[in-house]
Amino acid sequence: MASAAGSALTLRRVLLASAALRLALVVFGEWQDAHLEVRYTDVDYLVFSDAAASVAAGGSPFARATYRYSPLLAFLLLPNSLLHAAWGKLLFSAADLLVGLFIDTILKLRGIPEKTRMWSVIAWLFNPFTFTIGTRGNCEPIVCAVMLWILICLMKGRVLQAAFWYGLIVHFRIYPIIYAIPFVIVLGKSYAGPSGRPTLTMWSSEHHLQNNKASRREGPTSLLATLWDFLSNFITRNAILFGLLSGFMFFAWTGVFFYLYGWDFLNEALLYHLTRTDPRHNFSIYFYHIYLHHQQGFSSIQRLASFLPQLIVQLALIARFSRDLPFCMFLQTVAFVAFNKVMTAQYFVWFFCLLPLILPWNSMKLKWKGLVCMLVWMGSQLHWLMWAYLLEFKGRNVFVQLWVAGLVFLAANTFVMLMVIKQHKYTLLFSSPVKPGSKVATKKE
Amino acid sequence: MAVAGGPCLLAVALAAAWISAAAASSSPEQAGRGQKSINCMPCSRTYIGDEYLYTFTDQLAPHRGLAEMSDSGELCKGLTDAVEVPTLSELHRQLVGEGSHRRLVYSVKFGACQDAMVNFLDGYDAHLVIIEKLPNGVFADPFELQHFVERKVFLDVAVFGDTNLELPSALSNRSTVEIHFDLRPSTLTNCNIVIDLPLHARYPPLDASEHATVEFGSPDLLLRYRKKEIRSESCLWALKNLEAAPVEKAAWRVPCGDEAHIGFVSSITFLSALVCSMSIVLAALVF
Repeated sequence: MASAAGSALTLRRVLLASAALRLALVVFGEWQDAHLEVRYTDVDYLVFSDAAASVAAGGSPFARATYRYSPLLAFLLLPNSLLHAAWGKLLFSAADLLVGLFIDTILKLRGIPEKTRMWSVIAWLFNPFTFTIGTRGNCEPIVCAVMLWILICLMKGRVLQAAFWYGLIVHFRIYPIIYAIPFVIVLGKSYAGPSGRPTLTMWSSEHHLQNNKASRREGPTSLLATLWDFLSNFITRNAILFGLLSGFMFFAWTGVFFYLYGWDFLNEALLYHLTRTDPRHNFSIYFYHIYLHHQQGFSSIQRLASFLPQLIVQLALIARFSRDLPFCMFLQTVAFVAFNKVMTAQYFVWFFCLLPLILPWNSMKLKWKGLVCMLVWMGSQLHWLMWAYLLEFKGRNVFVQLWVAGLVFLAANTFVMLMVIKQHKYTLLFSSPVKPGSKVATKKE
Repeated sequence: MAVAGGPCLLAVALAAAWISAAAASSSPEQAGRGQKSINCMPCSRTYIGDEYLYTFTDQLAPHRGLAEMSDSGELCKGLTDAVEVPTLSELHRQLVGEGSHRRLVYSVKFGACQDAMVNFLDGYDAHLVIIEKLPNGVFADPFELQHFVERKVFLDVAVFGDTNLELPSALSNRSTVEIHFDLRPSTLTNCNIVIDLPLHARYPPLDASEHATVEFGSPDLLLRYRKKEIRSESCLWALKNLEAAPVEKAAWRVPCGDEAHIGFVSSITFLSALVCSMSIVLAALVF
């Protein structure tokens, strides 16, 4: 009892401290915007706010050029023009805190001790990347919160609710579509036990240290086996319900907004993201290639060549890791961002929110492997930023250097992924349903 | 007709119209000189610049220079008579900053500064209007400029023409910025006004010379004024071309990609994507 009260207090303290930090940053941002030449607020936030103002005035959010999001976002930010311009930042920061809470919930469900949970929550809440992104007015924390909520729903056996939110969030931000196959895989035959509810695999440090190999043997070992597993398993009631409802939600929202805003919506909020190629510099390895071809266009072989690595990696990760769902989602997201044709820093939040979910299963120590990974990743990013600064703010022709820096950053991303894969203890999210003959084994567990 | 002829024809017609507009728009000073250089426009119309880009919306209509822009000669006459309108004594324009985001800084000085100007502003509402025809490769962000209006730096501002902020120059058209600056005794220090216009470079077309050079032509400066007591039924602004002498040329060097890089950049890009993806696949299978 005492420890439960203590844990509630600690989590509450961490959340309160991070709420205070975020509030202070929002207030500071308001001050900086009013007094300094360089704005604290993200440019996109001004776009959302203008779009919301347009909706408030009875118009279309797409009247604001470069608004490329679901109209839902503009609706959420209506109080920006009605109450206060900082409303959206508070909303995004609240979502940010919710992500912290959900990380704790998920790890608790998987049996992680309190202390480890707290460090994982802190890894999100006090990551300088995340708290600045929310307070500068970036909407990604909302997407992160919904993604983690979907995970919680799946872990608790609330398949319909998970489907509801999944359809909505794919409409909202599109990229979570990459999780569709792993979701359907975990909803396969091994998802629900006889009670109809999934059984979660509980974390235990000794078990993992000793039976690492054994537990790995439980998991799918070859691509072929997984494929067969997948094909024979995925037609279950849960999987079909999930697919149908989330698909319905996606098309319903898309249909409603197409009805309201027509092709503006479809072109800007959906098709733009699917076909986006940006010749201006960004972290993606493809930017210079795209710039060099922007006057003549791309051949279908070039399109295929830039899509194929992404596809291969996604399929391999899904095939190998999907039953360790949070780990699979983390790797998929890192790979998706790394191989995407456009990559900006805000995309990093997509996998930062999943990172705390895999930390307890990672045997990497901060000294020194963990530190090396962080330094390699951040160092290559800073290296890229230096060249980007010279190009954008000094007008130096450093396209080739910047492109090479992008390649180095891809190599760094790949290195970190390999390290994480190597040091991770593969653990099924759900234990296989109990067969009638093995009741004793479960009782023991 | 051009529309029926398809997008290509339309593009050609637009380009031709633009060239003729650009050629004609350098002439108002000459056109105005010798004739009267004061015109009128109804108060209901905010901007003048759309006249400049008339050809963008209807390429069949002939371009109309500023000198021919009077809406009603008779009404206009009464407004422009017997007023000593301030004249321009100095105009400097400088491109300030480095890299892709720079500012055009205008420094404007009026002649007959002291008493005449104060007298004039006592009886008249007056705005300085700057019309800058941006060369291809540079754009002004209308949303950014709108925040200047909110902060009361400018009275009004508009961007005409291609306002897509993301396209490279090869895929975009030119645009024109029109800035309205409120003239009040409080905003004039020694009859000197400094105005900043933030601009951004687009990615230029590929070229082997490392940098593309974007050159600015001369801006048009106008004075727009009306008597302080307005009769609403026939409210007119008088417009006086300040006949600014051509300013020093401003040139902006923008780094550009080199076509010679296509071969190795594309092949190494694809190769590294393939190597990285394969090593991840391998790791997934082995570890």
